[in-house]
Amino acid sequence: MKGSRKLASMMLVLVLALTMILSACGSKNDNAGTGSTAAPGENAGSTDKELKLKMVMLGGKPIDYDQVFGEINAKLKEKANATLDVEFLDWSDWATKYPLKFAAQENLDLIYAANWANYNDQATKGGFLELTEDMLKQHLPKTFEVMPQAAWDQAKVNGKIYMVPQNNDETIDKVVLIRQDLLEKYNLEPVTSPETFATYLKTIAANEPGVTAYGARPGDGWKWHEMDDMLLEQNNNWTVADLSVPLAFKTDDPNGELFTVYETPEFLELLKYYKDLADNGVWTKNVLSEKSDVWQDMLAGKVGARSHNIGTLGLNMVEGNKAGKFKFDVADITPDRYKLNALSTQNGMAVSATSKNVERSLMVIDLLQSDKELHDLMMYGIEGKHYIAVGDDKYKQGEAAPNYTGFSNWGFNSKLNRVDDSIPASAIAITDAWKDKVYHFPLETFVFDNSNVKNEVSNVGNVMLRYAIPLEYGLIDDLEKGRDELVKQLKAAGIDKIKEEMQKQINAALGK
Amino acid sequence: MASPTATKGKFKFSDKTLLSIIGYIIMTLLAIVCIVPFILIISSSFTDEMAITLNGYQIIPTVFSTEAYSVLFKYPKDMIAAYGVTIGVTAIGTVLGLFLTAMTAYVLSRRDFKWRNQFSFFFFFTTLFNGGLVPWYLMMNALEMKDNYLALVLPLLLNVFYIIVMKSFMSSIPDAITESAKIDGATDFGIFIKLILPLSKPALATIGLFLALGYWNDWYNALLFIGKSEMMPLQYYLYRMLANMDGLRKAMMASGMAVNFAMPTESLKMAMTIVATGPIFLVYPFIQRYFVKGLTIGAVKG
Amino acid sequence: MSKSGFWHDVKKYRALLLMLAPAVLFFLLFAYVPMAGIVLAFKQYNYSDGIFASPWNGLNNFRFFFESGDAWRVTRNTALYNLAFILVNNLLQIVAAILLFEVAGKWFRKITQSILFLPYFISWVVVGAIAYNMFNYNVGTINVALEWLGFAKIDIYNTASYWPFILVAVTAWKALGYGTIMYLAAITSIDTEMYEAAEIDGANIFQRIFKITIPNLMPTLIILVLLAIGNIFRGDFGMFYNMIGNNSMLFSATDVIDTFVFRSLTTNNEIGMSAAAGFYQSILGFATILLANYAVRKYDKDRALF
Repeated sequence: MKGSRKLASMMLVLVLALTMILSACGSKNDNAGTGSTAAPGENAGSTDKELKLKMVMLGGKPIDYDQVFGEINAKLKEKANATLDVEFLDWSDWATKYPLKFAAQENLDLIYAANWANYNDQATKGGFLELTEDMLKQHLPKTFEVMPQAAWDQAKVNGKIYMVPQNNDETIDKVVLIRQDLLEKYNLEPVTSPETFATYLKTIAANEPGVTAYGARPGDGWKWHEMDDMLLEQNNNWTVADLSVPLAFKTDDPNGELFTVYETPEFLELLKYYKDLADNGVWTKNVLSEKSDVWQDMLAGKVGARSHNIGTLGLNMVEGNKAGKFKFDVADITPDRYKLNALSTQNGMAVSATSKNVERSLMVIDLLQSDKELHDLMMYGIEGKHYIAVGDDKYKQGEAAPNYTGFSNWGFNSKLNRVDDSIPASAIAITDAWKDKVYHFPLETFVFDNSNVKNEVSNVGNVMLRYAIPLEYGLIDDLEKGRDELVKQLKAAGIDKIKEEMQKQINAALGK
Repeated sequence: MASPTATKGKFKFSDKTLLSIIGYIIMTLLAIVCIVPFILIISSSFTDEMAITLNGYQIIPTVFSTEAYSVLFKYPKDMIAAYGVTIGVTAIGTVLGLFLTAMTAYVLSRRDFKWRNQFSFFFFFTTLFNGGLVPWYLMMNALEMKDNYLALVLPLLLNVFYIIVMKSFMSSIPDAITESAKIDGATDFGIFIKLILPLSKPALATIGLFLALGYWNDWYNALLFIGKSEMMPLQYYLYRMLANMDGLRKAMMASGMAVNFAMPTESLKMAMTIVATGPIFLVYPFIQRYFVKGLTIGAVKG
Repeated sequence: MSKSGFWHDVKKYRALLLMLAPAVLFFLLFAYVPMAGIVLAFKQYNYSDGIFASPWNGLNNFRFFFESGDAWRVTRNTALYNLAFILVNNLLQIVAAILLFEVAGKWFRKITQSILFLPYFISWVVVGAIAYNMFNYNVGTINVALEWLGFAKIDIYNTASYWPFILVAVTAWKALGYGTIMYLAAITSIDTEMYEAAEIDGANIFQRIFKITIPNLMPTLIILVLLAIGNIFRGDFGMFYNMIGNNSMLFSATDVIDTFVFRSLTTNNEIGMSAAAGFYQSILGFATILLANYAVRKYDKDRALF
């Protein structure tokens, strides 16, 4: 024992010594990092020197990468004297590798960024280069010209821009995919509201053995019921400011006054709606542990409805109807409510803080977002092979489409994006109808910075998963008691502190 | 004199039989519990994806299909390369690791080595405390481990758990053997090679097997350090196939993007288990003989 | 102890020290150097400053864990689960090893031993999928069987109290082959002369097992238990996550430190916070192992870890 104590102290000394060695390597890297940010302008303005830019994308390397990027690089070389060398972080392990890229201060130029990939966090920690307005104007002229100010505002972290966000007015509203053949079989009213949807679901649950009426996968770790987007937010015209905490404001409230959604009478009403569905067997008793893919189940005829964004459901509908076994349709169950645009930071491109080729990197982003030819190549691959152009703004999937898909080229989403021509009329009709209903409001650009309340946000997230999810999926019998317990736990987890902090930020955003 | 021996012999025969019967029953039950899920896996790997979605896993395939395997072997070159990497890494790592483990364990097992406890503690301490992923990653990067086969071999080379288990095995070798050899003028290293290693066959087989399994099943180091597809070991290659689908599904939800994909994930999962387990299972019987026969220390001693 | 004494010892043991050198170097490089990263638990980490230059953060990184109100529950769960695993696994493995060794048929022994190893190769992802196939309420094998036999169905995935038993059983099942090998190797290392002597003394087979085999397995058992105790506050994340996932109906009985921390940090992926949780587990494990090792040392100096 005595010996080991002595050894322990010896080892402590050793660790300290090694620590210093390690910190020496660490600081060497730092110098490289700061050096590049301090003097980014080695090749300012000029494109004399051919540059190879390192770009990091999420997702698997597409099979036809060499071919498509061969063409992209040929064009880029011509237009900016630069080529791209892309590293792909597979969907299987990007969550581990992505932060490590920054931690290791790896020498990168372009990197995909998104709010759901912890954009704010990486920016705060110094992973991305700050993009000043001058830089944007100078090196990103075409993109800057068409990008709405709101999109830039959303990309701000502590008042500074760190990414070139996507520029397409995609609405975030969720819709449902239903089985048209079942609707007809039971002679039901068209699904256009929460009530008609409930009738549809309950009819299936009662009459179609072996079919789960509504497919949800809360086991993926989503902290909300999968219908909450539609029935809690859209239906009440609320905006949940940050999906990791249950705080919302009324979308048209000029003061942006926050409230806890679980404490509202609307939530209790919704709980009753959910409980009714659960008791009627609309989703399985073991919904929290289900793991299979909802769409695969639906395609197999095992699930009667799901909710998702319209783009995905549109594609599902095409695929399902092509299979021919069942008839699928898309329906909006909150058609008369405000429609909101997606946050611009849902996809975007950032310049790494370690980049030595800042100007050229921005030039390349500009070209890929705003140069029709390059944008088409990046987004859809080679014309005639991976896609077939239909006019200027539509496309059909080409034969080799599966060989160029599934990675985050979404970072270059722009007004030049083409619409999939195969998307069925009913889905198009919904999006068209939304266009006039898109609602703009001052807090549209509000992004919550949680750095002062990280601990509370963690705890609240845990409470949502542990108490709200079972309650919303109808697994708790006494709704009011369950709701009270949820609110109590939420208070203990520090929701009030988060609310105070968020309200402060909202007030600041509103200039109060 | 004859009759007591006879009764004794008979008595012994019956208690052995009794134990054998108990043994057969219990072991058969355990074996069934272990093999049924595996049969389920084999059968599901040959079942049509749609049939699994509809009926769950079945002991006998309802709709026979080899689609999962054709997906796995869609790029046979990559698959063969992955097998090659895994086999190479496993072979080199196991041999090297086993030798180092045994040598280290032997020193720690020597009762006359003054600092054996201190060194044991030095090793053991690393199982309790670690700096986490980021410092480890930085360290490996500093050693230029990126896209380097060493990144697959080195991290698993020595394992405190194996060293200590090996040490405990070696401690049971009588000191007299070492001492008599020392008197004959053998060096420490010589004793280790000539006397200790042959006497430790069961332990070497066990730890060798564990090391091999560790290398065979490792995908995490590949995840961190291997980017080139031709350098990927089997388990990582398989892991990626499966986890990619899941990751993409979540990313689509979060990014608002629509992507169409379909893959036979359920049957694929099962086929992967078979593809990854098969080869190890073919080799296993060759290692097994070291566990089923008793060791006669006297024989080596004499 | 004088300096010359120390150098004298170094000289005396130089061969052994040389033999130890590769391992010492290995652990210095791959364990002790990165271990310095523990400081992250007390830092507000940012990329540009790196690990050591990032500003200190006091105990702030620990707050999410201790202020959650769940710290005690998940710590207790982790320790209790691991204790149950240690107990059940080792007992089962020892029984299996002895029976495998004593059972007569050579082929039976070989084949059974191979079969016991099969579960080890099934990843937790697949185990989780099979478990769902067996246990789910609507079409799970067990419930279909119960219904067919005329019994009421049981809702396993919404009843937390079943899960400690299920998890212990599944873990034992998966570890059976692996652990059995270790004990089997220990049995085969017993000098056969000892058995022969016992036989001559007229001991029956059960006496032989209890007097020779089991005492000879004790060192292995003690070592394995000690090694496991050092990690008693670390949960097997792969197992818990794939068996339970995000099914919050089961958390009260199945949440361990690792799953709790994982869930807490999905929204804000703070390296310092996960380092803090890891440090907490290390300190607890360290204290426990010092106590356990001390106890073993008192009982038998040679059996202790250090």
